[in-house]
Amino acid sequence: MQTPPAQIFPLHPADRGLNSGAPEPLPPAAEKISAARRIFRISPVRKGLLLAVLAIFWQVYAAALGNELVLPTFANTVAAFFRSCMEGELTNNILNSLKILCVAYGMGLVLAGLLTTLAVTTRLGTDLLELCTGMFNLLPAIALLPLALLWFGLGYASIIFVMVHSVIWPLALNIYAGFTGVSPTLRMVGRGYGLSGAGFIFRILVPAALPHILTGLKIGWAFSWRTLIAAELVFGTNSGGGGIGWFIFEKKNQLEIAELFSGLMAIIIIGVLVENLFFKTLENRTIRKWGMKL
Amino acid sequence: MKSSVKEDAPPLTEEDLAALHAPAVPREPLLRARGVTLQYNTPEYMLTATYRVSFDIGRGDRLVLLGPSGCGKSTLLKAIGGHIHPAEGEILLDGKVITRPGIDRGMVFQEFDQLLPWKTALENIVFAIRNTRRTTKAEAVNEAQVLLKKINLGGFEHSYPHSLSGGMKQRVAIARCLAVHSAIILMDEPFASLDALTRRKMQEDLLALWSESRFTMLFVTHSIEEALILGSRVIILSPRPGRVTAEFDIDITAHNELDNPALIRLRERISRILLGDAPEYSI
Repeated sequence: MQTPPAQIFPLHPADRGLNSGAPEPLPPAAEKISAARRIFRISPVRKGLLLAVLAIFWQVYAAALGNELVLPTFANTVAAFFRSCMEGELTNNILNSLKILCVAYGMGLVLAGLLTTLAVTTRLGTDLLELCTGMFNLLPAIALLPLALLWFGLGYASIIFVMVHSVIWPLALNIYAGFTGVSPTLRMVGRGYGLSGAGFIFRILVPAALPHILTGLKIGWAFSWRTLIAAELVFGTNSGGGGIGWFIFEKKNQLEIAELFSGLMAIIIIGVLVENLFFKTLENRTIRKWGMKL
Repeated sequence: MKSSVKEDAPPLTEEDLAALHAPAVPREPLLRARGVTLQYNTPEYMLTATYRVSFDIGRGDRLVLLGPSGCGKSTLLKAIGGHIHPAEGEILLDGKVITRPGIDRGMVFQEFDQLLPWKTALENIVFAIRNTRRTTKAEAVNEAQVLLKKINLGGFEHSYPHSLSGGMKQRVAIARCLAVHSAIILMDEPFASLDALTRRKMQEDLLALWSESRFTMLFVTHSIEEALILGSRVIILSPRPGRVTAEFDIDITAHNELDNPALIRLRERISRILLGDAPEYSI
C-alpha cells in the first residue's frame, strides 16, 4: 500500500478557464436604495402606518354604526382626550394615579430589596423568600382587595397595600434569581477586593444581576399598573381622590363614552411611554451597552 | 548551562541537576503551605482534593503547580485566596494565617467572565485600585492608563469587556492584579482557554512583566510546557487526593528557551512522573 506522493501544480488563471475572453461586467460594489424603501425599512414607520390604518377602520366603522353610546368615533375620542386634558380633569386623574403608583412601586422595591438581601445573607432568609414568593406570587392582587378594605378601609392605603403586593413578589423573585446567578468567579473577584456586606451587594451583586433586576422591574411595573387601574375601578367611588380607573368609571356612569375611551387611551399611552421610553432607555444605557442582555 | 546536547539520554546528568537545583541564596518564604488538606462536599461524597501538601514560596518566585486535571491545584489556589478553609494544616502569608480573602492576594482566573462586564477596561483597573488603596480618582486613572499601555491595550481603555478578545480580557485581568500591588499573584490556568498562538504570546508578555516588577507569582497549569516556560520552580502534584510528588528548581536565565537540553530532559522526566501517576494524563 503506497500512496502516491502529493503533486502540486501551480495553476495559471488562464489554465483554470478564468479571465479568458471578454472580462465579465461586475455589479457595482454599492447601490443606492430608493428613498421609499429606505423609509419603509424603519420599524416605527411601518407600525405608525398600521396604527393609522386601524384608526381609519375605527373611524369608518363607528361612523357607520352611528351610536356614540356604544362606540364613539376615533375623531371624537381624540377630541375628548384633548378636551379632558385641557380642562385638567384627565391630567389630574393621571397625576393621581401616577403618584400612588410611584409610592407603591417605591415601597415594593425597598421591601423586595430588603427581602432579597436577607435571602442572600442568611439561609433562613432564603427559605423565607422562596416560601413567600412561592405562595404569594400565585395570589392575584385584586383578590386581596376585600381584605385590604377590611384592614385599611376605603382609600389610598388599601390601593397601596394591594399594589405593593403585586410588585414585591415578582421583583424579589427576579432579584434573587439574579443574585444567585452571579458567577462564582465574579464573587471571588469582589471578595478578593475585601468587599463584603452592602459594598459587596451594591458594587458586585446588583450590577452583575442587573439583567434579572430589570426584568423584575418591568414585570413589577406591568403588574402594579394593571392592579392600580383595577383597584381604582372597584372602589374609586368612595376614595374620592380619583385616578384613571375612577375617571373611566365615572364617565361610564355619566354616559360620556368618548371620555371613557379617552381614559382607556391614556392608560395605553402611559404604558407605551414607560415601557418604550423609560425601560428601553435604561436597558440601552446599561445591560445592552455592557453586552449583558439576557 | 554548558552540558553537551544528548538527545538520546533522558536522565538528568549531575551537571543538569546542579544547574536546576541552584537556590542561590536561601530565601525567606513569603507564603508557606504547611500540611494543607482540602476537602469539599458533593451531594454523595466528601472529596479530598489535596492531602497534607506543603511548600514554600519565596519573594519574587514564579512557582508553578503542575498536575493532571482533578489534582486539587485550583482548590489549593482558592484556599490560598482565602475562599476555602483547609480541613487540616495552615497557609501562612508573611507569617500570618490566611483566614479569608484579602487584597494581599490577587487572583487571575481561567474564566473570561472575571472582569466586571459593566465597567470598561480602564474602569475595571480603576475599580480595583480604588477599592484596595487610598488614591485619588485622577491618580488611579493615570496609573491604570500606564498599565494598559504596558499590556499593549493602549487604545482599548473605553472598551467594555464583551468587545475584547479572550486574550485581551486576560491581559486586563493581569493588569488589574498588578494594579492592586498584591504581595502575591495567584493564577489559575489563565491561558488555558486561549488559542495556542495567543497563549504563547501571553506567556512571553507575562515573563516580560515579571522581569520588570519581579512580583511573586503562583501559577497553576496542567501543561508541562507552560510550567517550564513560566516557572522558576515547579511543584508536581499527584491526582486526587493531590500530594506533592516532585519539586524542581529551574534556575536558568534563558528560562523560556524550551530547546535548552537540560529543560528537554526535565520535560521528559516530568512527563514520566505524571504519566506514571496518571495513565490517562495527556498534554
